[in-house]
Amino acid sequence: MSIEKGKISNQQLLFLVAGFVLGSVLLVDFTVGITEHQTWMVILAGLAITAPVILSYVVLAKKFPGMNLVQINDMVYGRFLGKVISIYYIFFFSMTLSFNIRDVGELYITFLMQDTPFIFFLIVFTATCAYAVSKGIEVLARVSHLFVVSGLFVIVSAFTLLIDQMDFSNFLPFFELPFIRIFQGIHIVSVIPYGETVVFLMIMGCLNKTDHAVKKTFSGLLIGAVSLLIVAVRNTAVLGRTQTIWTSTSFQSIRLINIGTVLTRMDFLIGIAQTILIFFKCSLFFYALVVALSQLFGLKSYLPLVLPLAGIEVIIAATVFQSPVDHAMITLNAGIIYSAPLIFVFPPLSLLIAKIRGLPKLERGKGI
Amino acid sequence: MGKEMKFSVMSLTLFFFLSIALSGCLGAREINDLEIVIGMGVDKEKDSEDILLTAQVVKVDAAGGGSGNSSDGGGSKAFWNVSSKGSSIFDAVREMTHKTGNRLFISHNQAVIFGNDLAAEGLQDYIDFFLRAHEMRPTALILIAEKKASDLMDAKSETEKYPAMNIAKFVENYGYTSHFYKVNMKDFASCLMSGTTAPLVPLLSIVEEKEGKDIYVSGMVAIKNGKMVGKLNHDEVRGVLWVLDKVESGVITVSSPNEQGKAVLEIIKAKSKVKPELKDGKIVMNIKIKEESSLSEQTTTENLANDKALKKLQENSAEVIRQEIMAAFDKSRDLKADFFRFGEMLHKKYHKEWKALKDKWDEIYPTIELKIEIDTKIIKTDLLNKPVSPSD
Amino acid sequence: MFGYILKKIRYLSLKNKYMLQNTQPGENNSEPISPVLEINLEAIKSILHESSDVTIHEFNFGHERKNRGALIFINSITDKEEIHKNILQPLMYDVLLLKNAVGMDFNDIDTIRKNLISMTDNKKVAMLNDLLDSLLAGAAILLINGSKEALAIKSVKIKSRSIEEPGTEAVVRGPREGFVENVNENIALIRRKIKDTDLCVEKYVIGEKSKTDVCIVYLKSVANPKVIEEIRIRLKRIKTEAILESGYIEQFIEDCPYSVFPTVSNSEKPDKVAAKILEGRVAILVDGTPFVLVVPMVFIESFQSVEDYYARPFFASVIRIIRFLSYIISTLGPAIYVALTVFHQELIPTQLLISIAEGREKVPFPAILEAFLMLFAFDLLREAGVRLPKPVGQTVGIVGALVLGEASVQAGLISPIMVIVVSATAIASFAVPAQTDSGTVLRYIYLVLAGIAGGFGVIMGLLATLLHLASLRSFGTPYLWPIVPLDTAGLKDVFIRMPLWTLSKRPKAITWDSYDSYNQSPDLMPSPYNKDNNDPK
Repeated sequence: MSIEKGKISNQQLLFLVAGFVLGSVLLVDFTVGITEHQTWMVILAGLAITAPVILSYVVLAKKFPGMNLVQINDMVYGRFLGKVISIYYIFFFSMTLSFNIRDVGELYITFLMQDTPFIFFLIVFTATCAYAVSKGIEVLARVSHLFVVSGLFVIVSAFTLLIDQMDFSNFLPFFELPFIRIFQGIHIVSVIPYGETVVFLMIMGCLNKTDHAVKKTFSGLLIGAVSLLIVAVRNTAVLGRTQTIWTSTSFQSIRLINIGTVLTRMDFLIGIAQTILIFFKCSLFFYALVVALSQLFGLKSYLPLVLPLAGIEVIIAATVFQSPVDHAMITLNAGIIYSAPLIFVFPPLSLLIAKIRGLPKLERGKGI
Repeated sequence: MGKEMKFSVMSLTLFFFLSIALSGCLGAREINDLEIVIGMGVDKEKDSEDILLTAQVVKVDAAGGGSGNSSDGGGSKAFWNVSSKGSSIFDAVREMTHKTGNRLFISHNQAVIFGNDLAAEGLQDYIDFFLRAHEMRPTALILIAEKKASDLMDAKSETEKYPAMNIAKFVENYGYTSHFYKVNMKDFASCLMSGTTAPLVPLLSIVEEKEGKDIYVSGMVAIKNGKMVGKLNHDEVRGVLWVLDKVESGVITVSSPNEQGKAVLEIIKAKSKVKPELKDGKIVMNIKIKEESSLSEQTTTENLANDKALKKLQENSAEVIRQEIMAAFDKSRDLKADFFRFGEMLHKKYHKEWKALKDKWDEIYPTIELKIEIDTKIIKTDLLNKPVSPSD
Repeated sequence: MFGYILKKIRYLSLKNKYMLQNTQPGENNSEPISPVLEINLEAIKSILHESSDVTIHEFNFGHERKNRGALIFINSITDKEEIHKNILQPLMYDVLLLKNAVGMDFNDIDTIRKNLISMTDNKKVAMLNDLLDSLLAGAAILLINGSKEALAIKSVKIKSRSIEEPGTEAVVRGPREGFVENVNENIALIRRKIKDTDLCVEKYVIGEKSKTDVCIVYLKSVANPKVIEEIRIRLKRIKTEAILESGYIEQFIEDCPYSVFPTVSNSEKPDKVAAKILEGRVAILVDGTPFVLVVPMVFIESFQSVEDYYARPFFASVIRIIRFLSYIISTLGPAIYVALTVFHQELIPTQLLISIAEGREKVPFPAILEAFLMLFAFDLLREAGVRLPKPVGQTVGIVGALVLGEASVQAGLISPIMVIVVSATAIASFAVPAQTDSGTVLRYIYLVLAGIAGGFGVIMGLLATLLHLASLRSFGTPYLWPIVPLDTAGLKDVFIRMPLWTLSKRPKAITWDSYDSYNQSPDLMPSPYNKDNNDPK
């Protein structure tokens, strides 16, 4: 028996995935320091490399309809090992969530509201996420298209407003950087926006029909990837060489908007877009975290866990790093290493084992 | 449903109070408490390592007074130039609060003017604050004063209340002459980061008039390795802008076909393309310029509105453009300052070879050869078909 | 733990309510009517505490005046003339004209009913409390000595207001009629718009003491039976003393009582209610008020006006977009101003910032307090203006605008830009009447959020509002339909109003049909005459 009773449609899955990937717009900035003007390639290459892995997620979810990741793990790896792997996943969800919460705080503390205490943003933001999670996945899925549409609107309008300042020769020379840096960039991109979609294994169990899940997931992924691409292209074309020095590339490029000295100072555009997109991403992670944990403990409802976990996440987010530099260093080095097996190894492995053991059929007759 | 509702209401209230209790005052600042800075000047302090920072602050009550009566009083200025010394710019900014009482608010800073001494000694060390400070915007203009930056700050324009705004306005409108162009903090930083490019920065001069001081842009200054190395006059700057594809409009004066008077052309559209070529260690820059202009004035009675005359004018204007470019290029060769950004262009096309070239760019640069191809067109003659002349 | 405490409190309060109900009188009177007239009369007199407006008329009738009867009615609510003419006169005199009256037993209520009473709306009652209910609802009660039943003859006389244009929903183009206080007349107004056999009226009597008539009206073939069943259940649940206005019903049946957003819409206009019934909604008419409730309600409905459909689509679309904008301004205006001027001054264009700074130079309060003062003054003026008699109300407006606005700016207490912001907010708040209440509450909430945390607070507030709205339902229909969940067919009539001939499907969320429900033929696009007919020759 699954904890969540809400149902989501295939169409909503598309927007959920798109919104989730869009939630990583801020993280394009991470890779810029490494991959400079070749970031756009990295985003495309990352998608190409991650596509088969994501396919395995969807196939796995289709194989075990109505089940979430924790249940699948229990079934595939047995009670004990399954629990261990689930705990690993929960750790990953929790860490990623707190990193993302911290991102919002850093965004505000650096750019928009410098004099406000850092902890305030964390608390209020996490509280709002908790509110969203307490409403259930159905509500989040139903509003997902609004997040995607507003995110796209900001991204496209910022691109249009900056078109006169773009210098496309900034993309030249095409292949300059050493391959090791490109590889590093691809690794980051394939983990952070794309690979993190492993979180959907906690959500796809709620699908009412799994017929078009693959198509919809990949359409959503494509929307997200194209948006990331637009952002990366915009930043490189507008900022050129200087894009590597800023703490937030996107922010600086938006600050350059100047249409006839009337349309200036549009920082709020990116502020709003990034806040709501990261909010969406964080809510999904938060949801996955609470559901996974309550499934692990065998609770009937996940609601009692929301508040305590929100508190824990705020504390982690507030204390885990000293500064944005620290944050970037750890995420780029340790973060993507420890999460790699969760993203690239376990889901395909589960699929393989399930196939060998012929699992879901056997259990379906018993369970439901 | 009811359970969820209660739960969410509870969690929200709890977090709301918790957050307020934990964070206390949340950093609100009323507009009354801000000193709105609209311009900044940085000078070198004599005989010391310190710098002198001059900030132009909006004087709020004198500025308009709501009903607008005070503006014709003329007596009081709408701005206040505060200056302070410090070992660094940020030090000076904070030092200034001793005088202003409130903290400076520099988000609306339009322009940063560096004094001549400072520019000669090196800007590299002072540019960081203007990019790093969260209140500074990358669109702030960077300018260099012919003498001291602080002298420029109180030259009052007759139509604009604030000198800094006036400067920003005329720099913003450089396109009418294309005798200089605006450089903002981001562009300047970008040039400094390339390693080979020598950025140009507009140079502000003062001319004494009967009614006071007027400021104008007398040319541009070339900065190499963060230091000021030379000055370019208006024509030379336009020579650079032709190559950089930054000419918007402007005036080209050529002699008329019969050499008796002048014809004045206004640039309507200009487009340029540079193709670097690297052959056997020899660098050739192929510059293609397409220009369209209109006949705006003539000082002879000769009828210029015919094929033959226009063709001649087109040739003459092409020649003028070529001369401007060559003058600028000669200057850059003398200064060994790559303000044409040829280095970047080479890098983009030949990035493998570039690594070797980069280190000895100063020696290679003067050997660059230019191949200029100019295509000019006169597309209209404005309101007159014929000049005002006794009919024959 | 808090949840547990809350639950306990709620349980206790519920218990108290039930106890109250059990002690109420009413059940004790359910004894049968006695065949002896005097006993009945005594009982009725004592129950009604010998009220002065109760008329008890005893009389003898029949050929030999041997039969005794009594007529009881409340003279304040019944039509005396009708009673005399159609009850007393036939009983006492017309009966003499009956030729074969000898065989008739005038002690039998059915004989009298069938032969003598010339009024249609009558029914037999056998229990004392039914008798009293009818009596209080305006019936004349005919008691016959020797009969175990009484006859309740309805003869209500109510002075009804004439049908006028409703004050709350004036239109430029459209019918000028509005509902009145009489529920029967209101049903008549709807019947006149929808002359269809499908139109159903169900009557309920709600209120222990008020015994108010509540009618639900719907189109049987279109309305979703689940919604109707849900309404029935919710109406039957109501156990209260009195229903004085439809607002009582609204508050007892709404889906989310903790929400600032209304989930039941109301209207005074028959054409609007008829249009909604035709879409498949259910109207709830309450006697004694011209405000008719309609469920289910969706958020978008608040931005649609009947005139949108009477005007041509272009103008209607422009006006609708303006309504959306004005709702945004009315809820967010002061909040955005405060967030910008207190937290995000770098986002204001330089010239504007200097102007604002000039205006605020002498203002001694923080911007948030300034905004609160102005909004408070505005709400004060509005409230005072509404409550006062009309001529005085206008004076309040003038005094408020002149003295409070002009003088406070002159005195430097309020900055002129704040006056502009608040007055723009005030004007905008009247453009969407259905959401004025929610707008006012939200305006203060967002203002507080902006004062505490600037733009961040406002964004978080908006997100929470969005999630709340998305989770709201009105009788099963998602409140934000067709935006959340997305229904592209429904979007034709949201931000812009597509031409009428394209709106051929009923809203899916209301009818809940799995198949499309058409209200008109889908090929109604107007085109000129047939070319053959149009031939000039």
